[in-house]
Amino acid sequence: MTAVVETEGLTKFYGKRRGLEDLTFEIRPGEVFGYLGPNGAGKTTTIRLLLDVIRPTRGVARVLGAEPRDAAVRGRIGYLPGELALEGREKASEYLRFLAGVRGGVAKGRIEALGERLEADLSVKMGQLSKGNKQKVGLIQAFMHEPEFLILDEPTSGLDPLVQQEFLAMVREARTAGRTVLMSSHVLAEVEHVSDRVGIVRGGRLVAVEDVAALREKAVRRVEFHFDAPVPEEAFRGLPGVRDLKVEGTSVSCTIDGRPDALIKVAARFTVVHMVSAEPDLEEIFLTYYSEDVHHAHVGA
Amino acid sequence: MPMLVRKSLRDYRRALIGWTIGICVFVGMYTSFFPQMHQNPDFYNQAAIAKYPDSLRKLMGGLENIASGTGFLQAVVYQLFVPMLFIMCAVILGNKAIAAPEESGTLELTLTLPLDRKRLVVERFAALALGLLGIAVASLAVVTILGSSVDLGVAFDRILAAHTGLYLLVLFFGTLALAVGAATGRKALAMSVAGVYAVAGYVVNALAADIEAMRWLNRLSPFYYYSEGNPLVNGFPTGDYLVLLAGTAVLVLTAVLAFDRRDVGV
Ligand SMILES: Nc1ncnc2c1ncn2[C@@H]1O[C@H](COP(=O)(O)OP(=O)(O)OP(=O)(O)O)[C@@H](O)[C@H]1O
Ligand SMILES: [Mg+2]
Repeated sequence: MTAVVETEGLTKFYGKRRGLEDLTFEIRPGEVFGYLGPNGAGKTTTIRLLLDVIRPTRGVARVLGAEPRDAAVRGRIGYLPGELALEGREKASEYLRFLAGVRGGVAKGRIEALGERLEADLSVKMGQLSKGNKQKVGLIQAFMHEPEFLILDEPTSGLDPLVQQEFLAMVREARTAGRTVLMSSHVLAEVEHVSDRVGIVRGGRLVAVEDVAALREKAVRRVEFHFDAPVPEEAFRGLPGVRDLKVEGTSVSCTIDGRPDALIKVAARFTVVHMVSAEPDLEEIFLTYYSEDVHHAHVGA
Repeated sequence: MPMLVRKSLRDYRRALIGWTIGICVFVGMYTSFFPQMHQNPDFYNQAAIAKYPDSLRKLMGGLENIASGTGFLQAVVYQLFVPMLFIMCAVILGNKAIAAPEESGTLELTLTLPLDRKRLVVERFAALALGLLGIAVASLAVVTILGSSVDLGVAFDRILAAHTGLYLLVLFFGTLALAVGAATGRKALAMSVAGVYAVAGYVVNALAADIEAMRWLNRLSPFYYYSEGNPLVNGFPTGDYLVLLAGTAVLVLTAVLAFDRRDVGV
């Protein structure tokens, strides 16, 4: 299958200012790709290049097998701009119907269903929508025509936690239906539960692309067991990936790196009354792993 | 009607209604002064001459024969204020095509619809042309109906000819604003370019009658093609109007090509 997005040496300078430099990557069909980076990293620049809002200084991009300039291909994309502007006296529902019409129509009741799902009041004039409600209208228009490819620039900004959860559910459903998603964010925590892969961009350069599952496997996590009777320390010593082992009477605590399988099997030989396993902080690994220094060392090598 | 044209007209609706009322009231008010002028021709002719210094009167198109129907209509409707007001409206609408939505950020989403950029510009132009046509037709109706009720005595085909010129003139300036906006995305720049060209074009055309040096320059003034044929007297000056139309066509083409090439929203 051909890639949904394929770029080679994609570069954008705004005059002398670097927006993005030498981006070569691909997004595969059916995956959710999290695009991460701090402010000014180049996320929006990348996305605008893919949608032909701006044109590259160098390099090429192909989206759904076509050039971004090809207008027809944009009908197969759902796009949520990072700086969504909606204004005027027009009602949100009228605007959505207009967008749907230009894209060749959407299923009946689809707009209303999405509106209910995200708890958006579509009878409000667009100029009077709150920030979060504008974002909801933006999401509805991106999802409503069930596009093959969703490009979402900071989709969760301005949404309250409940709506964020609903949104993530919509992304999962899109993936289940075989659609491809590119979503940008500042923090991994926001996208890690739905993303298959994440890319990190910083200062206009893509510094890493990682598989989330692999990352999770690499993750260090703290584990604590409480048994009904004291356990021998020797039983837990030398297990693969187990570090900082501390055995105190009936409790065992350690950090584990990678799969917890061996540890669990040893623990299972005793009677476990309580177990605590903290969610691995991928963010932390990511940040230390790809801190500025590490990055320079990589490039230098 | 293409969807984007309909949508643009819907967006312009309030502005269009406002301008239509404004221009029609203006036109109607002036037209209804005619009986007074007509009944005291000497007084008003004298007053017109006495009130304005020579140079200013020239700038206002001479104000001769202001007591005859044709002269009156020329002076109060087709000379200065109505065209300028209408041009202002056209420039503001022209800016709504590209520059205004680009500056406010709403253009980005429109641009990512499955619509060719060239088509976007053309459809926005079509909306501008239709919107201005609406105002032109409404104001034509006002002039015609009020004109006949005050016994202006100007034939409809002559009024139609003059009004067509007015429409082509304002369409030209509206399209100029649209084109500058499409090429640069800057509202203020589009407004200034169109405004300066309109004022300079008007002044050059008014002074060209007396100043030799202005004659050739006058060929660059849209007002020359608008007024030279004196349509209220002679009917359609087809050649002149075609020049205005050709100018508009060149601007549309420029707008399409320029917009197709550049980054939006930077
Ligand atoms: N229109 C512009 N003119 C000049 N420089 C720009 C423009 N747009 C972006 N840049 C620059 O390009 C770089 C990348 O910006 P971009 O908007 O892509 O970042 P981002 O990753 O989307 O950031 P954020 O998280 O804040 O949205 C920044 O240094 C920014 O200053
Ligand atoms: Mg951004």
